[in-house]
Amino acid sequence: MDALTSILPFKQLLPQKLSYDKQETFLKLFILASAGILAFATRLFSVLRYESVIHEFDPYFNYRTTKFLTDEGFYSFHNWFDDRAWYPLGRIIGGTIYPGLMVTSAALYHALRWFHITIDIRNVCVFLAPLFSSFTVIVTYLLTKELRNTSAGLVAACLISIVPGYISRSVAGSYDNEGIAIFCMLLTYYLWIKAIKTGSIMWSASCALAYFYMVSSWGGYVFLINLIPLHVLALMFTGHFSHRIYVSYSTFYIIGTILSMQISFVGFQPVQSSEHMLAFGTFGLCQLFSFVEYVKSKLTQTQFDALFSFALVTVGFALSIAGLVLWASGKIAPWTGRFYALLDPSYAKNHIPIIASVSEHQPTAWSSFFFDFELLVFMFPVGIYYCFKELTDANIFIIIYGMTSIYFAGVMVRLMLVLAPVMCVLSGIGISSILATYMRNLDASQPKKPAGTASAGSRSRRTDDSSTYPRKNEIAFGVICLMSFFLITYVFHCTWVTSEAYSSPSIVLSARGGDGSRYIFDDFREAYWWLRYNTDENAKVMSWWDYGYQITAMANRTILVDNNTWNNTHISRVGQAMSSTEDKAYEIMRELDVDYVLVIFGGLIGYSSDDINKFLWMVRIGGSTDKGAHIKESDYFTPQGEFRVDKEGSPTLLNCLMYKLSYYRFGETYTEQDKPPGYDRTRSVEIGNKNFELEKLEEAYTTEHWLVRIYKVKKEENRGQS
Amino acid sequence: MESLYRLPFTIVQCPNLKLKKPSWIRKPSNTVVLFGLLVSYFLVTAGVIYDIIVEPPSVGSTTDEYGHHKPVAFMAWRINGQYIMEGLAASFMFTLGGLGFILLDQTNKPNMPRLNRVLMIICSFIFILVAYCATKIFIRIKMPSYLT
Repeated sequence: MDALTSILPFKQLLPQKLSYDKQETFLKLFILASAGILAFATRLFSVLRYESVIHEFDPYFNYRTTKFLTDEGFYSFHNWFDDRAWYPLGRIIGGTIYPGLMVTSAALYHALRWFHITIDIRNVCVFLAPLFSSFTVIVTYLLTKELRNTSAGLVAACLISIVPGYISRSVAGSYDNEGIAIFCMLLTYYLWIKAIKTGSIMWSASCALAYFYMVSSWGGYVFLINLIPLHVLALMFTGHFSHRIYVSYSTFYIIGTILSMQISFVGFQPVQSSEHMLAFGTFGLCQLFSFVEYVKSKLTQTQFDALFSFALVTVGFALSIAGLVLWASGKIAPWTGRFYALLDPSYAKNHIPIIASVSEHQPTAWSSFFFDFELLVFMFPVGIYYCFKELTDANIFIIIYGMTSIYFAGVMVRLMLVLAPVMCVLSGIGISSILATYMRNLDASQPKKPAGTASAGSRSRRTDDSSTYPRKNEIAFGVICLMSFFLITYVFHCTWVTSEAYSSPSIVLSARGGDGSRYIFDDFREAYWWLRYNTDENAKVMSWWDYGYQITAMANRTILVDNNTWNNTHISRVGQAMSSTEDKAYEIMRELDVDYVLVIFGGLIGYSSDDINKFLWMVRIGGSTDKGAHIKESDYFTPQGEFRVDKEGSPTLLNCLMYKLSYYRFGETYTEQDKPPGYDRTRSVEIGNKNFELEKLEEAYTTEHWLVRIYKVKKEENRGQS
Repeated sequence: MESLYRLPFTIVQCPNLKLKKPSWIRKPSNTVVLFGLLVSYFLVTAGVIYDIIVEPPSVGSTTDEYGHHKPVAFMAWRINGQYIMEGLAASFMFTLGGLGFILLDQTNKPNMPRLNRVLMIICSFIFILVAYCATKIFIRIKMPSYLT
């Protein structure tokens, strides 16, 4: 280190009077602080471009519940029954959410207010994810330091501060569970590694507390509660099982399970559902294993053999009968939809269209891997190789974590988030090991000699090596330059990806005009605020489930279906209404007391995520229940099997409610130069059914760029038709 | 207490089981496991699961102005879409880059003949540079607006 600081240009800046240890601590703190500040800063693109606004759909629900929590207090929040969503069913919010995110924001909000720093709750929510990503940088450093050494930790911390796979779900404004869940997950892993290294109850109990925080924040805790038992099993199989593992796992499992059952949403699942059975089984196996080892140490070999065969026959038989009875009677629930789809990826496509329709649940293509990780996809195998070189208990854990999360990230794009930390940890280990190896090969004694004799002197020094290792110095220099170049291009890639791909708020759209100026489309908020101020307080709004959370949060009106998608039959009813003709849809809408219908239409500006492009999913989900059995997907295609909205389109499509609500009065509108009126810019065709009138609905509001269209459902005639 | 334990054995006779772990079950060596993990890494990053579920064609095709069908290697403009061949090619590059770095570490073993060492160093540099450049070219073909 002394040699290095003597040739560095900024050696005057380093405090000269400090000892070597203090210099090292100073460097470490400086690097970690810079990485933390960088992690916060790189997530602020959308706040700087637009404003401090909550993004997407799910964060609006989290924001609404957080506001409720800060206004009403924890007990009202815990017992909250929301009658403004899923009309007429309602939703038990207190028992069906993970409260960690809301409680964290509310705690931060109240803590700041106690210091008389009054930050609005919306800003606390917007900036919570970047704040926790800075904490994640610190925890990643600690975790990698336990796995390898300090330098690997620093590299991993710097890598995770800007990795796009993590930024995509934790950008400022993305107020979602994953923002804090990654921090909690890495904290639990760090404490687990500490626990198995020391075997102390204090670390294991802290791990259980961190696990409780993780359970309260995200449904992905199931990954943790299966990964840690897998690790214990792997240690058993490789012969690394010791008293430390026994103490750590027993403490962690007992305290962790009891704590996790305190969350209402989790309830009794840890002892009933199949997803938690591996942890339970491993717990039993740990006890058996240790007991067997203990008995073996006390008995002679023949006595032990007799006892072993007796125990296997009686106890094993009894346990298997008990397991069979519990499974057959249904007490042990099988793996449920979302998690089963991870094990059998084709299950969702064939059986549950709602899970299959979400774009985040699609399997991953190679370009997503490269886009989200760049350099790290090359360094991941290198990190695993270095872990295999020195196989310790902790390294086995990170290898298992890496391979399982690679598989899950391949199954579902959304789970790239779980892969991001382990990619950074393993790549950090790989990069720092390579750099450490080749820095040692570098000839650091060169500056002490005069320039002319430097090369001759250094070559004469290495006479023992130069015969088998020519040009050691130059190759080492080349490798270090190459690695630095890769790291620099990594930074450029990450910043570009963050800026272009992951910083769009989705509630506000933007496009570049012909002269390069930015044009903002704020139609969504325009429509929601129109609803808020121009409709009755108890009006019910029907729209597709994507927009439910935004409507309740911003327009404050009752809705039929929202993003929680817990009731497939209700969503199917809405899908039937959208896919049927106006008369049939009117019956469904009167049955559900609908006052307003909201559709998203992108044909005027060329917005491609509008309801007509999502329409096939409405048809599929609408036709998937009994009442919608008459709706067949093939009716909405042309005889050649194409989905078209022009003259060639299927008549069922051209007369259904969604088509009429999207294209009402569009037939007279000119959208582009030298194109006929009614030219749909998203589908790039002229629409087929132009001049029609609506009988049962009337247009209430259409936003400036026709993006959101709201229709009022007319009441029935006073006098009946006889 | 002893009499209580003896009770079941007056009715049931303990079977004389000879349990032995089969000799062909052995713990695989580190290198074998590492090789297995690299193969699975290759398959997953190739988007094999995407291929199974979505069933894209092996290569795409486009028709040019004369009516001839020309093959298209990369599905352009879609970050989460691929053809089968492009996925395999890209993940081959990823694994090649990883192997290059692993090889780079192996070159530092103390007792190695000079020729082996030189060849290994040249090989590893070629692997790393080819893999990195090829992957950048692939992503540029796929997303023409990459890094602009």
